[in-house]
Amino acid sequence: MGTFLSQFVNGLNQASILLIATMGLVIIFGYMNVTNMAHGSMIMLGGVSAYILMEVIGLPFGVAIAGAFIITALIGMLIEKLLIKRLYSKPTETILATYAISIILTEIVRLKYPLSQNVHMPLPGAFKLGSVTIPYYNIFVGIFSIAILVFTLFLFRKTTFGKKLGSVTQNRTMTECLGIKTASVDTLTFGYGAGLAGIAGCVLAPTTGVSYDMGSTYLTDTFMTNVVGGIQSFFGTAVSSVIIGEGRTVMAGFLNETWAKIIIFMIVIVIIRLKPEGLFTKERR
Amino acid sequence: MKFRTFKRFAAIAAAAALMGTMSSCGSTGGSSSGSGDSDVIKVGVLFSESGSTALVEKTMTNACIMAFDEINAAGGINGKKIEYIHEDYASDPAKATEKIKKLIEQDEVVATVGCYTSASRQATLSTLKDDNSLLIYPTYTEGEEVHPNVIYVGNMPNQQATDFIPWLLENVGKKVFLVGSDYVFPKTCNKQARALVEMYGGEVVGEEYAPLGHTDFSTIVNKIKDSGAELVYSALIGDSNTAFYKDYQQYGLTAAQVPICSIGVDESNLQAIGNDYSEGHYASMPYWSSLDTEASKAFVDKYNSLFNDGTVVTVLTEAAYDSCYLLKAALEKVDDPYNTDALISAFGGVTFDAPQGTIKVDDQNHCTWVYSRFGQVHDGSVNILYSSESSLRPEPWPSVLYPEYAESNFMPAWDDPLCYPQ
Repeated sequence: MGTFLSQFVNGLNQASILLIATMGLVIIFGYMNVTNMAHGSMIMLGGVSAYILMEVIGLPFGVAIAGAFIITALIGMLIEKLLIKRLYSKPTETILATYAISIILTEIVRLKYPLSQNVHMPLPGAFKLGSVTIPYYNIFVGIFSIAILVFTLFLFRKTTFGKKLGSVTQNRTMTECLGIKTASVDTLTFGYGAGLAGIAGCVLAPTTGVSYDMGSTYLTDTFMTNVVGGIQSFFGTAVSSVIIGEGRTVMAGFLNETWAKIIIFMIVIVIIRLKPEGLFTKERR
Repeated sequence: MKFRTFKRFAAIAAAAALMGTMSSCGSTGGSSSGSGDSDVIKVGVLFSESGSTALVEKTMTNACIMAFDEINAAGGINGKKIEYIHEDYASDPAKATEKIKKLIEQDEVVATVGCYTSASRQATLSTLKDDNSLLIYPTYTEGEEVHPNVIYVGNMPNQQATDFIPWLLENVGKKVFLVGSDYVFPKTCNKQARALVEMYGGEVVGEEYAPLGHTDFSTIVNKIKDSGAELVYSALIGDSNTAFYKDYQQYGLTAAQVPICSIGVDESNLQAIGNDYSEGHYASMPYWSSLDTEASKAFVDKYNSLFNDGTVVTVLTEAAYDSCYLLKAALEKVDDPYNTDALISAFGGVTFDAPQGTIKVDDQNHCTWVYSRFGQVHDGSVNILYSSESSLRPEPWPSVLYPEYAESNFMPAWDDPLCYPQ
């Protein structure tokens, strides 16, 4: 029981990390329909920004989060302007182009930082409850992931920008006819998605350190979470983060890391076979 | 007329291009003379300048440059200068095969100091055998391999473990939890560690492996807590260490209660982990740059004054430096440096007063007698608590696991196919 309880609590941390890391993909892959193979590199860029801002310049963690968002969002917007916007509705080319971008970004960072870099823990210490230890930082990550989810939902549902984006996804031609600049909506949306990936990298950095290849670990995990949850559904992504994060951690507690991964992948295959559109699909009108 | 000018131009261009490729083939150092010159001895240096392990290997290249320049400044070997030819295999085992071939067949080196990962070493083995050349391999390794054309200067697992484990059981605790990265080096080392723990009256209370590059250690830390372990014996390698040491403390284990005792971290890993998280844990290696002897301090000072490229002196730097001097000692014993068989047998028993102390290549099994040293991490450097009195015997097939080889230099017979991957 002790093992189950502490693994369950750790699983929540895994789930919140998955949620933060996948949120950007819901926007770029789900809403914009861009299979973004560079998503992992965007996470890595966020981590590198965090390292530069916190360890090289010496700014506090809060500023680093904002900085990581802005830097990655700007790079994302640049990539969209230069490349992605020419490739909408060409899925194969998009996969190749974004994969190339991920290689370019990774190699540039490798030239500068070939070794893993340490980012200090902004919130050390832990909270103890019987046999369960919860690091303060995990509590922060959990709350922060929900805050980002709520903020993004608000942005997409309640603001003018969100409504414009909604109409672009539903009927691009009609939206254009109504006088909305779809191109700038695309750029901003892509930038926001990339920025969220940057935030994920920044939040991961203090626990894992920063290295040029840190993004590749998350690329499969985030796509998997996104597809299981339903590609356009923020709520679905949150639910699938919990299923995958909890499933993996609780099973690893009783078996080991490798077996937990194998079993989770099998479960995901079954889910996708039964519900190819994901657990929560937005109804299309 | 026009055509003839073009032909001449083309010939010049071709010659220039050829010279260009020849000079860019490798960076040569020492006294640079023509290939037919018998006043030089050519030695290959095979380490990566690019790719994933480049930064670690950079310090090994630096150490070789430092050693060969010192040897030349002191008059060379039997009056001949060393000319070293550096090749970059870009952290790619397939390229290591190609480059060792180039060094042996084109540059005609007498021997090569090189390779970092076991995979890169194994990629050179068949070429070394076919061309009957020699590799001096500086990295610490998992053992259970001896190749007739390789001299292993890095330590075998027994030299890190046989003094370390009894000391830990006596001074830290009896209940041991084994962790490691999920591949051959950690598994082989932990197999031996388990045998030693049981031999000295300890108890292994758990064993867990994490995939290479794994970053979430909450589960493993919880298992360590639940097991009631008094110490963790770790063969985790590389960047995973950063996440492991951080999660360890984050999830409420401290070095004071349950220290991590590692055989896989060096000074560069400690830098990445950060002082707050490495403080108080233990680690074992034949050499630490904090070693307080004249020889060691002179070595570290000289290295730092020569190379200011972000590298730090680690056990690998020292072993690469030692490899060059052991090669020098063996070359001094032979008349013809190109007689590889004579050179290989000349290695048996050669010694060198290394920064770590006097080391010696074993008479029989091609491995090296090195020191055993361990200590506790303080302010990001290792405070050495124990140094063996002299260098320890290398056991490629450790006697705790393979008593049948204890009488035959801790290895199967040289013609046994078990000796190396065929």
